Amino acid sequence: MPWHKKIISILKDILNVLKIEFKTMFKDRGVVIMFVLGPLAYPILYCSLYKNETLIDVPVAAVDCSRSPQSRELLRHMDATQNIAVTSRYSTLAEAKDAYNKKEVHGVVYIPADFSKKLSTGDQTTVSIYCDISSFMYYRIINQACTNCVLSMSNHIQLERLNANGITGESANMIASPIPYNGVILYNEGAGFASFLMPVILVIILFQTLFLGIGMIAGTSREENRFHVLVSSSVHRGGTVRVIIGKSICYFLMYAPWAFYALELIPRIFNLPHIGIAFDVMMLMIPFLLATIFFSMTVSVFIPNRETGIVIFMFMSLILVFLSGVSWPQSNINGFWKTFAWMYPSTSGVQAYVKINTTGADLRHVSFEYISLWIQTSVYFATTCWAYHWQIKKTSKKQLKAQIDTVSI
Amino acid sequence: MSNNTVTAFKNTLSRELKRMVSRPIYFISTFVIMTFCYVFFLTFFNEGQPNKMPIGIVDLDNSSISRQFVRNLEATQQAKIVMRLNSHKEAREEMQRGNIYAFVEIKRNFANDAITNRRPTLTFYINDAYLIAGSLISKDITYMSAATSIGMQQKVLRAKGMDESRIKGIIQPIALDTHLIGNPWANYGTYLLNVILPGMLQLMVLLMTAFPIGVEYKQRTSREWVENANHSMFAALTGKLLPYTVIFTFLGVIGNILLYKYMHYPLNSSIGWMFLATLLLVISSQAVGVIFIGITPVLRDGVTFAGIFGTLGITFAGSTFPIEQMPMGSRIISELFPIHHYFNIYVDQALNGIAIHYSLISYVFMLAFLILPFFVFNRLKNAAISQNYPTK
Repeated sequence: MPWHKKIISILKDILNVLKIEFKTMFKDRGVVIMFVLGPLAYPILYCSLYKNETLIDVPVAAVDCSRSPQSRELLRHMDATQNIAVTSRYSTLAEAKDAYNKKEVHGVVYIPADFSKKLSTGDQTTVSIYCDISSFMYYRIINQACTNCVLSMSNHIQLERLNANGITGESANMIASPIPYNGVILYNEGAGFASFLMPVILVIILFQTLFLGIGMIAGTSREENRFHVLVSSSVHRGGTVRVIIGKSICYFLMYAPWAFYALELIPRIFNLPHIGIAFDVMMLMIPFLLATIFFSMTVSVFIPNRETGIVIFMFMSLILVFLSGVSWPQSNINGFWKTFAWMYPSTSGVQAYVKINTTGADLRHVSFEYISLWIQTSVYFATTCWAYHWQIKKTSKKQLKAQIDTVSI
Repeated sequence: MSNNTVTAFKNTLSRELKRMVSRPIYFISTFVIMTFCYVFFLTFFNEGQPNKMPIGIVDLDNSSISRQFVRNLEATQQAKIVMRLNSHKEAREEMQRGNIYAFVEIKRNFANDAITNRRPTLTFYINDAYLIAGSLISKDITYMSAATSIGMQQKVLRAKGMDESRIKGIIQPIALDTHLIGNPWANYGTYLLNVILPGMLQLMVLLMTAFPIGVEYKQRTSREWVENANHSMFAALTGKLLPYTVIFTFLGVIGNILLYKYMHYPLNSSIGWMFLATLLLVISSQAVGVIFIGITPVLRDGVTFAGIFGTLGITFAGSTFPIEQMPMGSRIISELFPIHHYFNIYVDQALNGIAIHYSLISYVFMLAFLILPFFVFNRLKNAAISQNYPTK
């Protein structure tokens, strides 16, 4: 066969596989749920649940034993913050504790009886706060709001005391804060919860729905196939590689729009950080989707039934979130789990996406992840070829045996 | 209960036990996955708190004062200086590469300005795209910066001849004393594992309720299953699900022991209350699982919905982001998740150690889930006999 005819025949084979795969996908309601409903609805659902970036007006009880203008002023300041609200007042800590136990409040501010007296005599006084730590957010928010209020009142009193000691003007400022410090938060200025977690979840949604969907398709074709193997040799006479390329192009075409939707549109719709260059994100998505597809196709060889993938791999979603090294910093993941994490395309995908999308890095800055994803693409392509080849061999063997059996009967 | 039902129950039970050893999926999705989860989460978070996270420093002054500050910073628990950079731009790029989570910038003439009372500003930059790392490091650097200031204040005030108590009153007129109720170490592992491990358990229980029931419909053995149970749906379901109740409760109790005895996470009441909560978490999740497979006796739909519900449960437990602060309606939806009530019991009992009567309502809520399966009894039975659902 002349070379150009050979190429045309290869392309025809690939196109044929592609068409068949598209048809099977859309005929199968389970796959449609995974491939269409999943990537469409999950991002909206999670973004809506986490849409409050921070906690607003967390109810806090006050136990004001001082009952002085100063203590009332401090409580007024706390109540005026965005994050906490002083919703109830009690005369003893025991009463406040009961309100806390009933979950009416999530924190208690205790101002001692000698608060204003100590303030007037120039001594140090202590305000105590008790924080609910059932959620890390409560603790962080209550502690922060109270610290800020106490500090600003403290600074005011500090200057008054310095003035009273005859230190005024610039030299008072000098003593009050000899080295002013200034913390600047970058990339997630409001220290928002959704801005931090959603980019991770979005990439994991793409990974998991694609992975489980491919697993379901593989399990189904195995069930429907006469010999319970993944690829039947009769349908795909074009050879292993053509089958794999045809299928992977199908999945890729299916997921490229979803990647754009989840990683570019969703951050804009829900006001998540998106300072990265869209082109770079899309460039990143090419190896990410390919690596995910080949990874899933390799693993899918071991999935005997339609539902097996969901039952056995659903739990990995959360584990992949942690392995991706954003919520728990990557620098603090031990060597074993870091290596384990690296094998999943989702890890490099999440890391690179957060860096590009949230911190405005460009492809140069994520070269490690980018190269990793291409390495994974080629390695998992090779393992897929090997696994499919093995499956096809198994089919022909069974077919041969069946033929012999029929003859002997 | 009549003798008939007891026999039917026994028959179903022995039938199910035989099915369970026939395929590896039963063993994998109970013992193997839960063991993997325990090993993974306990070794992953064994530090409890991320320590010595990488930060950078841009020391353009390079004086004895700036070097002292850097040394102090090195002594902090959460931050570790891993690189010295020559410019703000270089430092920012390292941050974008993810090599450092923060950097401190010490400007030129910092020492000189400090000595000549020109109040040089110390600026630090935090990458809050990594919120946990960012906020922990920020706390440490803030503390160090304040401590450096206080050192200088003390020196100046002592030089002015003030006595120590007066100095204390000037430096910090109001001190803030923060108490963390129940978890005095603010250990991050405590927040996560107390919800994630039971979260994983309920996910697997949900899946392994929908699966063993649904697979009967798929393999067209559902009629045999119901006939074997003498047409008693009660016997058919309890006999089928009891092995999983036992296995998952056992695995859940192991989880409790790992958390409270091995890791020594806060346990301020009797561990028995947590065991009870775990048992109820298992059976209430089974009840919800029955509903999912009862609504559509199609295996694939059943496990998909059970899986989605189980994953959402971890969000709706209320640990990562408080339910109260989610959009309207979330509070009501959260009540539909058994894990939410389990989490409330954990907070009341293990963490806060308050009187048991505060938690009674949560136990009752979990028990109430057991009513659910009765709503789909007829549906499951009819479908089992007529076998008229798609197997795909």
